[in-house]
Amino acid sequence: MAKLLVVDDEKNLRALYQSELTRDGHEVVVAFDGQEALKLLDQVKPDLVVLDIRMPGIDGLETMARLLSRENTLPVILNTAYSSYRDSFLSWSADAYVIKSSDLTELKSKIREVLQARADEKGAQAR
Amino acid sequence: MILAGGQGERLYPLTKDRSKPSVPFGGLYRIIDFTLSNCVNSGLRRIYVLTQYKSSSLMRHIKLGWNVFSSEMGEYIHTIPPQLRVGAQWYQGTADALYQNIYQLELERPKRVLILSGDHVYRMDYGPMIEAHVQSGAAVSIATALVGAAECSRFGVIETDDANRVVGFEEKPQAPRRPPGPDGLVQVSMGIYIFDTDVLVRSVSEDAKRATTHDFGRDIIPALIPAGRVHAFPFRDPEGAPGYWRDIGTLASYYEANMDLVHVSPVFNLYDKALPLRTHPRPLPPAKTVFAQEFEGGRLGTALDCLICGGAIVSGGKVERSILSPFVKVNSYARVEDTILLDRVVVGRHAKIRRAIVDKDVHIPEGFTIGYDREADAKRFLVTPEGIAVIPKGALLED
Repeated sequence: MAKLLVVDDEKNLRALYQSELTRDGHEVVVAFDGQEALKLLDQVKPDLVVLDIRMPGIDGLETMARLLSRENTLPVILNTAYSSYRDSFLSWSADAYVIKSSDLTELKSKIREVLQARADEKGAQAR
Repeated sequence: MILAGGQGERLYPLTKDRSKPSVPFGGLYRIIDFTLSNCVNSGLRRIYVLTQYKSSSLMRHIKLGWNVFSSEMGEYIHTIPPQLRVGAQWYQGTADALYQNIYQLELERPKRVLILSGDHVYRMDYGPMIEAHVQSGAAVSIATALVGAAECSRFGVIETDDANRVVGFEEKPQAPRRPPGPDGLVQVSMGIYIFDTDVLVRSVSEDAKRATTHDFGRDIIPALIPAGRVHAFPFRDPEGAPGYWRDIGTLASYYEANMDLVHVSPVFNLYDKALPLRTHPRPLPPAKTVFAQEFEGGRLGTALDCLICGGAIVSGGKVERSILSPFVKVNSYARVEDTILLDRVVVGRHAKIRRAIVDKDVHIPEGFTIGYDREADAKRFLVTPEGIAVIPKGALLED
Protein backbone atom coordinates (compact mmCIF):
# COMPACT_ATOMS: atom_id res chain seq x y z
CA MET A 1 0.00 0.00 0.00
CA ALA A 2 1.35 3.38 -0.99
CA LYS A 3 0.78 6.72 0.62
CA LEU A 4 -0.46 9.29 -1.88
CA LEU A 5 -0.67 13.04 -1.57
CA VAL A 6 -3.33 14.32 -3.97
CA VAL A 7 -3.41 18.05 -4.69
CA ASP A 8 -6.44 19.63 -6.36
CA ASP A 9 -8.30 22.86 -5.80
CA GLU A 10 -11.70 21.36 -6.65
CA LYS A 11 -13.46 20.03 -3.64
CA ASN A 12 -15.55 17.47 -5.49
CA LEU A 13 -12.55 16.06 -7.28
CA ARG A 14 -10.63 15.75 -4.01
CA ALA A 15 -13.51 13.72 -2.61
CA LEU A 16 -13.59 11.56 -5.73
CA TYR A 17 -9.84 10.87 -5.64
CA GLN A 18 -9.95 10.19 -1.93
CA SER A 19 -12.61 7.52 -2.22
CA GLU A 20 -11.53 5.94 -5.51
CA LEU A 21 -7.84 5.74 -4.74
CA THR A 22 -8.50 4.52 -1.22
CA ARG A 23 -10.65 1.80 -2.74
CA ASP A 24 -7.68 1.01 -4.98
CA GLY A 25 -5.69 0.19 -1.87
CA HIS A 26 -3.82 3.41 -1.24
CA GLU A 27 -3.63 5.64 1.78
CA VAL A 28 -4.72 9.04 0.49
CA VAL A 29 -4.06 12.50 1.92
CA VAL A 30 -5.51 15.46 0.03
CA ALA A 31 -4.34 19.06 -0.19
CA PHE A 32 -6.36 21.94 -1.62
CA ASP A 33 -3.48 23.88 -3.13
CA GLY A 34 0.27 23.92 -3.69
CA GLN A 35 1.03 25.79 -0.51
CA GLU A 36 -0.78 23.18 1.59
CA ALA A 37 0.95 20.37 -0.29
CA LEU A 38 4.32 21.88 0.58
CA LYS A 39 3.23 22.20 4.19
CA LEU A 40 2.15 18.57 4.29
CA LEU A 41 5.25 17.13 2.63
CA ASP A 42 7.32 16.45 5.72
CA GLN A 43 4.36 15.41 7.82
CA VAL A 44 2.82 12.98 5.29
CA LYS A 45 6.04 11.74 3.64
CA PRO A 46 4.10 10.54 0.58
CA ASP A 47 5.32 7.79 -1.75
CA LEU A 48 3.84 9.69 -4.67
CA VAL A 49 2.18 13.03 -5.35
CA VAL A 50 -0.73 13.55 -7.76
CA LEU A 51 -0.69 17.18 -8.73
CA ASP A 52 -3.17 19.43 -10.50
CA ILE A 53 -1.56 22.21 -12.51
CA ARG A 54 -4.03 25.09 -12.67
CA MET A 55 -4.62 26.13 -9.11
CA PRO A 56 -4.90 29.48 -7.39
CA GLY A 57 -1.65 30.68 -5.84
CA ILE A 58 1.43 28.69 -6.81
CA ASP A 59 0.54 26.46 -9.73
CA GLY A 60 1.28 22.77 -10.07
CA LEU A 61 4.52 23.20 -12.02
CA GLU A 62 5.93 25.55 -9.42
CA THR A 63 4.68 23.29 -6.64
CA MET A 64 6.43 20.34 -8.29
CA ALA A 65 9.68 22.30 -8.55
CA ARG A 66 9.52 23.22 -4.88
CA LEU A 67 8.59 19.69 -3.81
CA LEU A 68 11.48 18.26 -5.83
CA SER A 69 13.92 20.80 -4.48
CA ARG A 70 13.21 19.30 -1.07
CA GLU A 71 12.78 15.64 -2.09
CA ASN A 72 14.47 15.15 -5.43
CA THR A 73 13.43 11.51 -5.78
CA LEU A 74 9.74 12.11 -5.00
CA PRO A 75 7.53 10.59 -7.75
CA VAL A 76 5.07 13.12 -9.16
CA ILE A 77 2.15 12.62 -11.54
CA LEU A 78 0.73 15.75 -13.13
CA ASN A 79 -3.02 15.41 -13.40
CA THR A 80 -4.59 18.20 -15.39
CA ALA A 81 -7.51 19.00 -17.64
CA TYR A 82 -5.12 20.61 -20.14
CA SER A 83 -2.78 18.89 -22.54
CA SER A 84 -0.88 22.09 -23.35
CA TYR A 85 1.46 21.85 -20.35
CA ARG A 86 2.80 18.61 -21.73
CA ASP A 87 5.04 20.62 -24.10
CA SER A 88 6.46 22.76 -21.35
CA PHE A 89 9.94 21.63 -20.35
CA LEU A 90 8.97 22.47 -16.79
CA SER A 91 6.49 19.58 -16.81
CA TRP A 92 9.11 17.05 -17.83
CA SER A 93 10.28 16.53 -14.29
CA ALA A 94 7.07 14.65 -13.67
CA ASP A 95 7.04 10.86 -13.81
CA ALA A 96 3.78 10.91 -15.74
CA TYR A 97 1.29 13.31 -17.24
CA VAL A 98 -2.38 12.40 -17.09
CA ILE A 99 -5.30 14.27 -18.66
CA LYS A 100 -8.07 14.58 -16.10
CA SER A 101 -11.14 12.49 -16.62
CA SER A 102 -14.06 11.38 -14.49
CA ASP A 103 -12.91 7.88 -15.26
CA LEU A 104 -9.84 7.34 -13.09
CA THR A 105 -8.62 4.22 -14.89
CA GLU A 106 -5.66 5.93 -16.49
CA LEU A 107 -4.64 7.76 -13.34
CA LYS A 108 -4.82 4.56 -11.34
CA SER A 109 -2.73 2.61 -13.81
CA LYS A 110 -0.15 5.42 -14.02
CA ILE A 111 0.12 5.44 -10.24
CA ARG A 112 0.81 1.71 -10.29
CA GLU A 113 3.31 2.05 -13.16
CA VAL A 114 5.27 4.83 -11.53
CA LEU A 115 5.39 3.10 -8.17
CA GLN A 116 6.43 -0.15 -9.85
CA ALA A 117 9.16 1.56 -11.87
CA ARG A 118 10.57 3.15 -8.72
CA ALA A 119 10.44 -0.17 -6.87
CA ASP A 120 12.22 -1.90 -9.76
CA GLU A 121 14.89 0.76 -9.75
CA LYS A 122 15.44 0.43 -6.03
CA GLY A 123 15.63 -3.33 -6.44
CA ALA A 124 18.19 -2.96 -9.20
CA GLN A 125 20.27 -0.64 -7.04
CA ALA A 126 20.09 -3.02 -4.09
CA ARG A 127 21.34 -5.85 -6.30
CA MET B 1 25.14 27.47 -22.20
CA ILE B 2 28.58 28.02 -20.75
CA LEU B 3 29.33 26.26 -17.50
CA ALA B 4 31.41 28.78 -15.63
CA GLY B 5 30.92 27.77 -12.04
CA GLY B 6 34.19 25.95 -11.57
CA GLN B 7 35.68 26.54 -8.17
CA GLY B 8 39.14 25.75 -9.50
CA GLU B 9 40.43 24.47 -6.20
CA ARG B 10 43.55 23.12 -7.90
CA LEU B 11 44.37 26.56 -9.26
CA TYR B 12 44.47 28.02 -5.77
CA PRO B 13 45.69 30.69 -4.91
CA LEU B 14 44.83 32.12 -8.35
CA THR B 15 41.22 31.25 -7.54
CA LYS B 16 41.32 32.73 -4.05
CA ASP B 17 39.10 35.64 -5.08
CA ARG B 18 37.79 34.57 -8.48
CA SER B 19 36.31 31.60 -10.24
CA LYS B 20 38.39 29.55 -12.64
CA PRO B 21 36.96 31.06 -15.87
CA SER B 22 37.90 34.47 -14.57
CA VAL B 23 41.58 33.68 -13.97
CA PRO B 24 43.80 36.01 -16.07
CA PHE B 25 45.57 34.42 -19.00
CA GLY B 26 48.11 35.47 -21.62
CA GLY B 27 48.59 38.94 -20.16
CA LEU B 28 45.40 40.56 -21.41
CA TYR B 29 42.78 37.86 -21.27
CA ARG B 30 40.77 35.78 -18.89
CA ILE B 31 40.28 32.08 -19.44
CA ILE B 32 36.61 32.45 -20.40
CA ASP B 33 37.58 34.77 -23.29
CA PHE B 34 38.62 31.71 -25.31
CA THR B 35 35.18 30.14 -25.16
CA LEU B 36 33.33 33.43 -25.63
CA SER B 37 35.52 34.34 -28.61
CA ASN B 38 34.82 30.92 -30.11
CA CYS B 39 31.09 31.57 -29.74
CA VAL B 40 31.24 34.98 -31.40
CA ASN B 41 33.59 33.72 -34.14
CA SER B 42 31.13 30.87 -34.76
CA GLY B 43 28.20 33.26 -35.05
CA LEU B 44 26.63 32.06 -31.81
CA ARG B 45 25.24 35.10 -30.10
CA ARG B 46 22.67 33.82 -27.67
CA ILE B 47 24.65 32.88 -24.65
CA TYR B 48 23.96 32.01 -21.07
CA VAL B 49 26.90 31.91 -18.70
CA LEU B 50 26.04 29.83 -15.65
CA THR B 51 28.06 31.08 -12.73
CA GLN B 52 28.39 29.93 -9.18
CA TYR B 53 31.34 30.44 -6.84
CA LYS B 54 32.97 33.84 -6.44
CA SER B 55 31.31 35.10 -9.57
CA SER B 56 31.64 38.86 -9.11
CA SER B 57 34.96 39.11 -10.97
CA LEU B 58 33.57 37.05 -13.86
CA MET B 59 30.32 39.00 -14.02
CA ARG B 60 32.22 42.28 -14.07
CA HIS B 61 34.48 41.03 -16.84
CA ILE B 62 31.54 39.94 -18.99
CA LYS B 63 29.65 43.15 -18.36
CA LEU B 64 32.63 45.34 -19.25
CA GLY B 65 34.24 43.21 -21.91
CA TRP B 66 31.48 41.36 -23.69
CA ASN B 67 28.83 43.99 -24.14
CA VAL B 68 28.91 43.28 -27.88
CA PHE B 69 25.51 41.69 -28.36
CA SER B 70 22.57 43.46 -29.87
CA SER B 71 19.31 42.87 -28.07
CA GLU B 72 17.52 44.36 -31.05
CA MET B 73 18.85 41.47 -33.12
CA GLY B 74 17.73 38.96 -30.51
CA GLU B 75 21.27 38.49 -29.26
CA TYR B 76 22.28 38.31 -25.64
CA ILE B 77 24.82 37.23 -23.12
CA HIS B 78 23.32 36.67 -19.70
CA THR B 79 25.22 35.61 -16.65
CA ILE B 80 22.97 33.59 -14.41
CA PRO B 81 23.85 32.76 -10.84
CA PRO B 82 21.98 29.77 -9.34
CA GLN B 83 18.29 30.64 -9.27
CA LEU B 84 17.34 27.93 -6.78
CA ARG B 85 14.09 27.46 -8.69
CA VAL B 86 14.16 23.69 -8.61
CA GLY B 87 17.00 23.08 -6.23
CA ALA B 88 17.50 24.22 -2.68
CA GLN B 89 21.25 24.18 -3.11
CA TRP B 90 23.93 25.32 -5.46
CA TYR B 91 24.66 23.19 -8.49
CA GLN B 92 25.39 19.60 -7.56
CA GLY B 93 27.07 18.84 -10.87
CA THR B 94 27.22 19.89 -14.50
CA ALA B 95 23.91 18.24 -15.35
CA ASP B 96 22.27 19.85 -12.33
CA ALA B 97 23.44 23.26 -13.57
CA LEU B 98 21.47 22.64 -16.77
CA TYR B 99 18.51 21.17 -14.92
CA GLN B 100 18.25 24.21 -12.69
CA ASN B 101 18.16 26.39 -15.80
CA ILE B 102 15.50 24.54 -17.77
CA TYR B 103 13.34 27.61 -17.30
CA GLN B 104 15.72 29.55 -19.58
CA LEU B 105 15.40 26.85 -22.23
CA GLU B 106 11.62 26.94 -21.90
CA LEU B 107 11.70 30.69 -22.56
CA GLU B 108 13.95 30.34 -25.61
CA ARG B 109 12.84 26.90 -26.91
CA PRO B 110 15.95 26.36 -29.06
CA LYS B 111 16.20 23.29 -31.29
CA ARG B 112 19.66 22.50 -30.02
CA VAL B 113 21.82 23.50 -27.11
CA LEU B 114 25.59 23.80 -27.22
CA ILE B 115 27.08 23.16 -23.80
CA LEU B 116 30.52 24.62 -23.23
CA SER B 117 32.96 24.98 -20.43
CA GLY B 118 34.30 28.34 -19.34
CA ASP B 119 37.74 27.11 -18.40
CA HIS B 120 39.23 25.66 -21.57
CA VAL B 121 41.94 27.15 -23.75
CA TYR B 122 41.34 26.43 -27.42
CA ARG B 123 40.21 27.98 -30.65
CA MET B 124 37.32 26.27 -32.34
CA ASP B 125 34.69 27.11 -34.89
CA TYR B 126 31.64 25.29 -33.58
CA GLY B 127 29.94 25.51 -36.98
CA PRO B 128 31.34 22.26 -38.43
CA MET B 129 30.44 20.42 -35.24
CA ILE B 130 26.88 21.66 -35.34
CA GLU B 131 26.68 20.70 -39.01
CA ALA B 132 28.03 17.22 -38.31
CA HIS B 133 25.54 16.86 -35.48
CA VAL B 134 22.60 17.67 -37.73
CA GLN B 135 23.89 15.49 -40.59
CA SER B 136 24.53 12.46 -38.37
CA GLY B 137 21.07 12.43 -36.86
CA ALA B 138 22.66 12.13 -33.43
CA ALA B 139 20.79 13.27 -30.35
CA VAL B 140 24.05 14.25 -28.71
CA SER B 141 27.46 15.08 -30.15
CA ILE B 142 30.60 15.25 -28.05
CA ALA B 143 33.70 17.10 -29.19
CA THR B 144 36.78 14.99 -28.63
CA ALA B 145 40.50 15.62 -28.38
CA LEU B 146 43.51 13.31 -28.32
CA VAL B 147 45.67 13.03 -25.21
CA GLY B 148 48.49 10.73 -24.16
CA ALA B 149 47.28 7.47 -22.58
CA ALA B 150 49.07 8.37 -19.35
CA GLU B 151 46.79 11.41 -18.96
CA CYS B 152 43.51 9.58 -19.42
CA SER B 153 42.74 9.48 -15.69
CA ARG B 154 41.91 13.20 -15.95
CA PHE B 155 39.40 12.78 -18.78
CA GLY B 156 36.36 10.93 -20.05
CA VAL B 157 37.73 8.36 -22.48
CA ILE B 158 35.60 7.74 -25.55
CA GLU B 159 35.40 4.68 -27.77
CA THR B 160 33.80 5.06 -31.17
CA ASP B 161 32.93 2.84 -34.11
CA ASP B 162 33.95 3.65 -37.69
CA ALA B 163 31.03 6.05 -38.09
CA ASN B 164 32.12 8.12 -35.04
CA ARG B 165 29.28 6.69 -33.03
CA VAL B 166 30.18 6.50 -29.35
CA VAL B 167 30.12 2.90 -28.17
CA GLY B 168 31.96 3.25 -24.90
CA PHE B 169 32.63 5.94 -22.33
CA GLU B 170 34.75 5.71 -19.23
CA GLU B 171 35.01 8.66 -16.88
CA LYS B 172 38.56 9.20 -15.63
CA PRO B 173 39.84 5.61 -15.86
CA GLN B 174 43.28 4.66 -14.53
CA ALA B 175 44.02 3.10 -17.91
CA PRO B 176 41.97 3.07 -21.12
CA ARG B 177 39.92 -0.08 -21.67
CA ARG B 178 40.92 -0.23 -25.30
CA PRO B 179 44.68 0.06 -25.94
CA PRO B 180 45.75 3.43 -27.35
CA GLY B 181 46.54 3.82 -31.05
CA PRO B 182 50.08 3.44 -32.44
CA ASP B 183 50.67 7.11 -31.59
CA GLY B 184 49.97 6.37 -27.91
CA LEU B 185 46.97 8.71 -27.94
CA VAL B 186 43.45 8.14 -26.70
CA GLN B 187 40.28 9.98 -27.64
CA VAL B 188 38.77 11.95 -24.77
CA SER B 189 35.72 14.13 -24.26
CA MET B 190 36.36 17.86 -24.26
CA GLY B 191 33.24 18.38 -22.15
CA ILE B 192 31.64 20.14 -25.11
CA TYR B 193 28.24 18.82 -26.12
CA ILE B 194 25.55 19.57 -28.63
CA PHE B 195 22.19 18.24 -27.52
CA ASP B 196 18.87 18.16 -29.23
CA THR B 197 17.00 20.20 -26.66
CA ASP B 198 14.29 17.63 -25.95
CA VAL B 199 16.88 14.95 -25.25
CA LEU B 200 18.80 17.32 -23.00
CA VAL B 201 15.75 18.32 -20.99
CA ARG B 202 14.51 14.75 -20.74
CA SER B 203 17.93 13.50 -19.63
CA VAL B 204 18.68 16.09 -16.99
CA SER B 205 15.10 16.02 -15.67
CA GLU B 206 15.25 12.27 -15.20
CA ASP B 207 18.74 12.39 -13.77
CA ALA B 208 17.70 15.08 -11.27
CA LYS B 209 15.29 12.59 -9.69
CA ARG B 210 17.96 10.01 -9.10
CA ALA B 211 20.74 9.64 -6.61
CA THR B 212 23.54 10.28 -9.10
CA THR B 213 26.44 12.71 -9.21
CA HIS B 214 24.40 14.78 -11.72
CA ASP B 215 27.36 14.97 -14.05
CA PHE B 216 27.32 14.88 -17.86
CA GLY B 217 30.39 12.67 -18.09
CA ARG B 218 29.49 10.28 -15.32
CA ASP B 219 25.73 10.02 -15.59
CA ILE B 220 24.05 11.63 -18.59
CA ILE B 221 26.27 10.45 -21.46
CA PRO B 222 26.67 6.82 -20.30
CA ALA B 223 22.88 6.54 -19.98
CA LEU B 224 22.40 7.75 -23.58
CA ILE B 225 25.00 5.54 -25.26
CA PRO B 226 22.96 2.31 -25.44
CA ALA B 227 20.38 3.99 -27.68
CA GLY B 228 23.19 4.62 -30.18
CA ARG B 229 22.51 8.30 -30.74
CA VAL B 230 25.67 9.74 -29.20
CA HIS B 231 28.30 10.77 -31.73
CA ALA B 232 31.86 11.98 -31.36
CA PHE B 233 33.18 14.99 -33.23
CA PRO B 234 36.99 14.88 -33.42
CA PHE B 235 38.20 18.44 -32.98
CA ARG B 236 40.63 19.45 -35.70
CA ASP B 237 42.31 22.72 -36.60
CA PRO B 238 41.70 24.28 -40.04
CA GLU B 239 44.62 22.24 -41.43
CA GLY B 240 43.03 19.00 -40.31
CA ALA B 241 45.51 18.27 -37.55
CA PRO B 242 44.27 17.53 -34.02
CA GLY B 243 43.32 20.90 -32.54
CA TYR B 244 45.10 22.54 -29.61
CA TRP B 245 42.95 22.24 -26.52
CA ARG B 246 43.85 22.57 -22.87
CA ASP B 247 41.69 22.03 -19.87
CA ILE B 248 43.32 24.35 -17.36
CA GLY B 249 43.04 21.95 -14.45
CA THR B 250 46.20 22.56 -12.49
CA LEU B 251 48.70 25.32 -11.78
CA ALA B 252 51.23 23.41 -13.89
CA SER B 253 48.90 23.25 -16.90
CA TYR B 254 48.04 26.92 -16.39
CA TYR B 255 51.73 27.77 -16.38
CA GLU B 256 52.55 25.62 -19.41
CA ALA B 257 49.62 26.93 -21.46
CA ASN B 258 50.69 30.51 -20.74
CA MET B 259 54.33 29.78 -21.46
CA ASP B 260 53.39 28.23 -24.78
CA LEU B 261 52.36 31.70 -25.93
CA VAL B 262 55.91 32.99 -25.50
CA HIS B 263 57.43 30.55 -28.02
CA VAL B 264 58.50 31.84 -31.42
CA SER B 265 55.69 29.88 -33.10
CA PRO B 266 53.30 29.03 -30.32
CA VAL B 267 50.77 26.26 -30.81
CA PHE B 268 48.13 28.80 -29.88
CA ASN B 269 48.45 31.85 -32.09
CA LEU B 270 47.11 35.02 -30.48
CA TYR B 271 47.71 36.87 -33.74
CA ASP B 272 45.26 34.84 -35.86
CA LYS B 273 43.09 37.34 -37.67
CA ALA B 274 40.51 34.88 -38.93
CA LEU B 275 39.39 33.76 -35.48
CA PRO B 276 40.47 36.60 -33.22
CA LEU B 277 40.59 36.32 -29.48
CA ARG B 278 38.88 39.25 -27.86
CA THR B 279 38.57 40.49 -24.32
CA HIS B 280 37.63 43.48 -22.26
CA PRO B 281 39.23 46.36 -24.22
CA ARG B 282 41.09 48.74 -22.01
CA PRO B 283 42.73 52.02 -22.94
CA LEU B 284 46.32 51.04 -22.26
CA PRO B 285 49.33 53.24 -22.95
CA PRO B 286 52.10 51.63 -25.02
CA ALA B 287 54.57 49.22 -23.50
CA LYS B 288 57.96 50.76 -22.95
CA THR B 289 61.56 49.81 -22.32
CA VAL B 290 63.97 52.33 -20.91
CA PHE B 291 67.64 52.76 -20.14
CA ALA B 292 69.92 51.82 -22.93
CA GLN B 293 73.16 51.96 -20.97
CA GLU B 294 74.97 49.23 -22.83
CA PHE B 295 78.10 49.31 -20.76
CA GLU B 296 79.36 47.29 -17.80
CA GLY B 297 77.22 48.11 -14.75
CA GLY B 298 74.82 50.20 -16.81
CA ARG B 299 71.05 50.05 -16.61
CA LEU B 300 69.75 48.11 -19.57
CA GLY B 301 66.02 47.52 -19.96
CA THR B 302 65.55 44.35 -22.04
CA ALA B 303 62.75 41.93 -22.72
CA LEU B 304 63.49 38.82 -24.80
CA ASP B 305 60.98 36.12 -25.79
CA CYS B 306 58.22 37.91 -23.89
CA LEU B 307 54.63 38.98 -24.21
CA ILE B 308 54.54 42.62 -23.16
CA CYS B 309 51.14 44.18 -22.62
CA GLY B 310 50.27 47.84 -22.86
CA GLY B 311 51.24 49.89 -19.88
CA ALA B 312 54.13 47.62 -18.93
CA ILE B 313 57.52 49.24 -18.40
CA VAL B 314 60.81 47.41 -18.36
CA SER B 315 62.87 50.01 -16.62
CA GLY B 316 66.47 48.90 -16.54
CA GLY B 317 65.74 45.25 -15.68
CA LYS B 318 66.13 42.13 -17.79
CA VAL B 319 63.17 39.89 -18.61
CA GLU B 320 63.27 36.63 -20.54
CA ARG B 321 60.59 34.10 -21.54
CA SER B 322 57.93 35.80 -19.48
CA ILE B 323 54.53 37.41 -19.67
CA LEU B 324 54.25 41.02 -18.59
CA SER B 325 50.64 42.03 -18.00
CA PRO B 326 49.35 45.60 -18.11
CA PHE B 327 51.16 48.09 -15.88
CA VAL B 328 53.85 45.69 -14.76
CA LYS B 329 57.10 47.43 -13.93
CA VAL B 330 60.50 45.78 -13.80
CA ASN B 331 63.08 48.01 -12.20
CA SER B 332 66.80 48.31 -12.73
CA TYR B 333 69.09 45.31 -12.41
CA ALA B 334 66.14 43.02 -11.68
CA ARG B 335 66.06 39.67 -13.51
CA VAL B 336 62.83 37.93 -14.42
CA GLU B 337 62.86 34.56 -16.22
CA ASP B 338 60.15 32.05 -17.17
CA THR B 339 57.61 33.94 -15.11
CA ILE B 340 54.06 35.19 -15.41
CA LEU B 341 53.60 38.65 -13.91
CA LEU B 342 49.97 39.70 -13.64
CA ASP B 343 48.65 43.24 -13.69
CA ARG B 344 50.48 45.95 -11.78
CA VAL B 345 53.21 43.73 -10.36
CA VAL B 346 56.29 45.78 -9.58
CA VAL B 347 59.66 44.08 -9.42
CA GLY B 348 62.11 46.00 -7.28
CA ARG B 349 65.74 46.71 -8.12
CA HIS B 350 68.10 43.75 -8.05
CA ALA B 351 65.24 41.32 -7.40
CA LYS B 352 65.55 37.92 -9.11
CA ILE B 353 62.56 35.81 -10.09
CA ARG B 354 62.33 32.64 -12.12
CA ARG B 355 59.63 30.01 -12.69
CA ALA B 356 56.92 31.87 -10.82
CA ILE B 357 53.37 33.06 -11.21
CA VAL B 358 52.91 36.43 -9.51
CA ASP B 359 49.28 37.46 -9.15
CA LYS B 360 48.09 41.06 -9.40
CA ASP B 361 49.27 43.97 -7.27
CA VAL B 362 52.30 42.32 -5.73
CA HIS B 363 55.34 44.48 -5.04
CA ILE B 364 58.51 42.44 -5.10
CA PRO B 365 60.89 44.24 -2.77
CA GLU B 366 64.37 45.32 -3.79
CA GLY B 367 66.84 42.43 -3.84
CA PHE B 368 64.12 39.79 -3.23
CA THR B 369 64.57 36.36 -4.84
CA ILE B 370 61.99 33.77 -5.90
CA GLY B 371 62.82 30.52 -7.65
CA TYR B 372 66.43 30.10 -6.54
CA ASP B 373 65.93 28.37 -3.19
CA ARG B 374 63.00 26.00 -3.27
CA GLU B 375 62.97 25.36 0.46
CA ALA B 376 62.92 29.02 1.30
CA ASP B 377 60.21 29.62 -1.30
CA ALA B 378 58.07 26.79 0.03
CA LYS B 379 58.09 28.38 3.48
CA ARG B 380 56.51 31.53 2.09
CA PHE B 381 54.52 30.49 -0.96
CA LEU B 382 52.75 27.63 -2.59
CA VAL B 383 55.31 25.82 -4.75
CA THR B 384 53.93 23.23 -7.17
CA PRO B 385 55.53 19.78 -7.52
CA GLU B 386 57.02 21.11 -10.76
CA GLY B 387 58.76 23.85 -8.78
CA ILE B 388 56.61 26.80 -9.82
CA ALA B 389 56.15 29.34 -7.02
CA VAL B 390 52.77 31.10 -6.90
CA ILE B 391 52.47 34.46 -5.17
CA PRO B 392 48.86 35.38 -4.34
CA LYS B 393 47.19 38.61 -5.35
CA GLY B 394 48.29 41.59 -3.30
CA ALA B 395 50.64 39.51 -1.12
CA LEU B 396 52.84 41.60 1.12
CA LEU B 397 56.44 40.53 0.83
CA GLU B 398 59.16 41.64 3.20
CA ASP B 399 62.83 42.01 2.53
